[in-house]
Amino acid sequence: MLGASLYIIGCSAKNRVRVRLRRLRQPRYLVGAIVGAAYLYFSVFARMGRRGRRAGPRGGPPAAALEALRSGAPAAVGLALLIATAVGWLLPFDSGLLDFSQAEVQFLFPAPVSRRSLLVHRMMRSQIGILLGSIIPALMVQSFSGYARVRISIATWLLLSTAKIYATGVSLARTRLTSTDTRARRVAWLPLTVLGSACAIVAIALWQAFRAAPPGGAQDAIVRIGTVVSHGLPRIVLWPFVALATPLFAPWPGEYLVALLEAALVAAVCVAWVLASDATFQDAAEDVAARKAQQPGPRAVIYRARATGWDLAPSGRAEVAFVWKAAMQTLRVVDMRSLLRLAAIPVAITAGSMAFGRAGGLPAVVGIFALAAAGFTVLMAPQILRVDLRQDLRHLELLKTWPVKGSAVVRGEIAWPGALLTALAWILIGIALALSSANFSRVAIPARLGAAGAAALVAPALVFAQLTIHNGVALMFPAWVPLGSQRARGLDAMGQRIIILGGTWLLLAIMVLPGVLAGAIVWFAFSVIVGPMALIPGAVACAVVVGIEVLAATEALGPLYERMDVLAVERTE
Amino acid sequence: MAISVEHFSRTYTTSTGTVPAVDDLSFQVSAGEIVGLIGPNGAGKTTTLRALAGILKPTSGHVRIDGHDLMAEPIEAKRRLAFMPDEPHLFEYLTVAEHLRLIARLYTVEDFERRSRALLDELELTGKEDSLPGELSRGMRQKVVIACGLVRSATTLLFDEPLTGLDPLGIRRMRETIASRAREGAAILLSSHLLHLVEEVCTRVMIMDRGRKIADGTFEELRTRAELAQAGSSLEQIFLRVTGHDIPSGQP
Repeated sequence: MLGASLYIIGCSAKNRVRVRLRRLRQPRYLVGAIVGAAYLYFSVFARMGRRGRRAGPRGGPPAAALEALRSGAPAAVGLALLIATAVGWLLPFDSGLLDFSQAEVQFLFPAPVSRRSLLVHRMMRSQIGILLGSIIPALMVQSFSGYARVRISIATWLLLSTAKIYATGVSLARTRLTSTDTRARRVAWLPLTVLGSACAIVAIALWQAFRAAPPGGAQDAIVRIGTVVSHGLPRIVLWPFVALATPLFAPWPGEYLVALLEAALVAAVCVAWVLASDATFQDAAEDVAARKAQQPGPRAVIYRARATGWDLAPSGRAEVAFVWKAAMQTLRVVDMRSLLRLAAIPVAITAGSMAFGRAGGLPAVVGIFALAAAGFTVLMAPQILRVDLRQDLRHLELLKTWPVKGSAVVRGEIAWPGALLTALAWILIGIALALSSANFSRVAIPARLGAAGAAALVAPALVFAQLTIHNGVALMFPAWVPLGSQRARGLDAMGQRIIILGGTWLLLAIMVLPGVLAGAIVWFAFSVIVGPMALIPGAVACAVVVGIEVLAATEALGPLYERMDVLAVERTE
Repeated sequence: MAISVEHFSRTYTTSTGTVPAVDDLSFQVSAGEIVGLIGPNGAGKTTTLRALAGILKPTSGHVRIDGHDLMAEPIEAKRRLAFMPDEPHLFEYLTVAEHLRLIARLYTVEDFERRSRALLDELELTGKEDSLPGELSRGMRQKVVIACGLVRSATTLLFDEPLTGLDPLGIRRMRETIASRAREGAAILLSSHLLHLVEEVCTRVMIMDRGRKIADGTFEELRTRAELAQAGSSLEQIFLRVTGHDIPSGQP
């Protein structure tokens, strides 16, 4: 199997490079490649040069501080790895190692090879990507020699490989947590119990250390974490995590080589643990094969049929049918368990901030978090939440046969994600407003009310404007937009994404500008009469102008949808 | 005329240049007629059906459904169309019943509940109403696609390999369904490699090869055509002769 595996890896790599070089003959890939190369040069290589020139006796932090950081850093990174591991158990993350391609399912599953060999094949196959991912951070490290970069690349590769293999082990063990076989269940619960105990030991030790006096800054925090976790029980339970992090910081040659050996030992234990899950892998592999057979395509999402309490009326506007369709999609992929796991992250962050920070209480932390989350929801989430045409272009063959006006399709497609994000933003703004006295006590209540009201009014306008732009880009340049969960790879694809992102932000600025001007005029006119509350009529004016633009844009995009050729939508490699 | 295709051409752009998939195709299908579209792989059958369904734009030429130009009046034309593709394309997050409900909403289907119940029964999908596509076999998913096409009163039905994935009973029922829809006045264009199905169900046959129509007529007309008269009496023999793949007698 080893030979066959190497053959597959070699041929795949060779053909991938050939395809990527060949597609540079098309202008859109060539332009993307140029932009991607320029980005890589200016963000990595040029910075390296600048940093190298700047580095001197007077540049950078003091040597003592650096030494203190270096001694504490492995422990801090080890602690971060422990937290990441715990989160990996809590959230339904998938390492992707079991995500066999359709061809692998078709050719390798029926082949006379053991499931263990298949797992080794997948482990080997994942190494090229991990290796490339390890080189980039090493290149970005400030003023390091070439040899140092190689050492850091190796250390990063070992760390990432172990993380991926461990995540696979978690995926396999998770399926056995509720097994009817008592022994299998015990074996699955064992690592989880050990990890839970380790988390508790470290958390108690840190809480005791930081309870007396909060840290005086990031550097102080790292040094103190290093001190806490390098003594007693925390040191023992954190050893595997710290061992994986140490090669990143250990000096050459003696300490680095010893650290590398220790990290390799941890990696070997992880590999052995995953390979020992052979029986589970059999089930998991069969599950993957069944899913691939029924839902061809990359990373098929699992939907669960459940009553939603919303039946689509047999007559009415087509837009509502699209909203209903997208709502069903959302409600069938999100379940309460996933939501609870997801909610555990902000709760943990909040609790962590309370334990360590100087934020001044839970209301202040939650308030700031809500404010930041509201900003993210309004400004970034429309790019991430793709329950619209960007995802539905996969179904274009079906949509094109429907007797629905193009503009109605566009409006229907953006309506659900827009409503969802607006509702989320309103909740977060409401929380931030309710807790605003903890963070903005110096700001008068009318001013806070005015700002929150204005934000709530402008939020839907910004969300829908962005969704219109993203869907418009998908209609104008469908080949540049990844479909569903697809993710194009390569320098040219990276360049395409940069161009799309830049273009989107530029279009948003142009689209919002008239609204901002109208809002500013209204605010100025009202501010004399109603003071800070003038923000609200200003926001209403801004939202109305942007709303009209959104409606006009969807009408303009309608003919584009109708003229769109299904062949213009390209599947990624 | 329910389907009218005039000088329809469609080209594809590949890395090696422009390739014609369908070249200057003209034909008509009347109400109540079942026309079988046959041809070797790459003949342009699926491209023709997808263009008729409004999925692909013609490079040139016109397609009219019940007199409505598909490019100029797409909504009116599509309202009268039902396309059943060979690959069952469904929303993975909607149940069988919800697919039918969505179609009923988009096409404004009167008496939807009764029609969908009857159709689910006819296609043996009763009991699967609340299943997601991922929980169904390929044949079942194919039946859902067909149910979505038949739940509305389309005057023009386009079938691309309608029997793929169906069991023997399903095949038999499907044949009956197609024939009954034609009797009710629908114009049907059916593409299939199963020549015995075409021979049994269709009232007319159109043979395509390399993007062009090379034969068109009833079986009797094809059998009596001078150059085909000696080919034999079956559609398979006629098909092989027309496409130049028949083996002269005396050769193994």
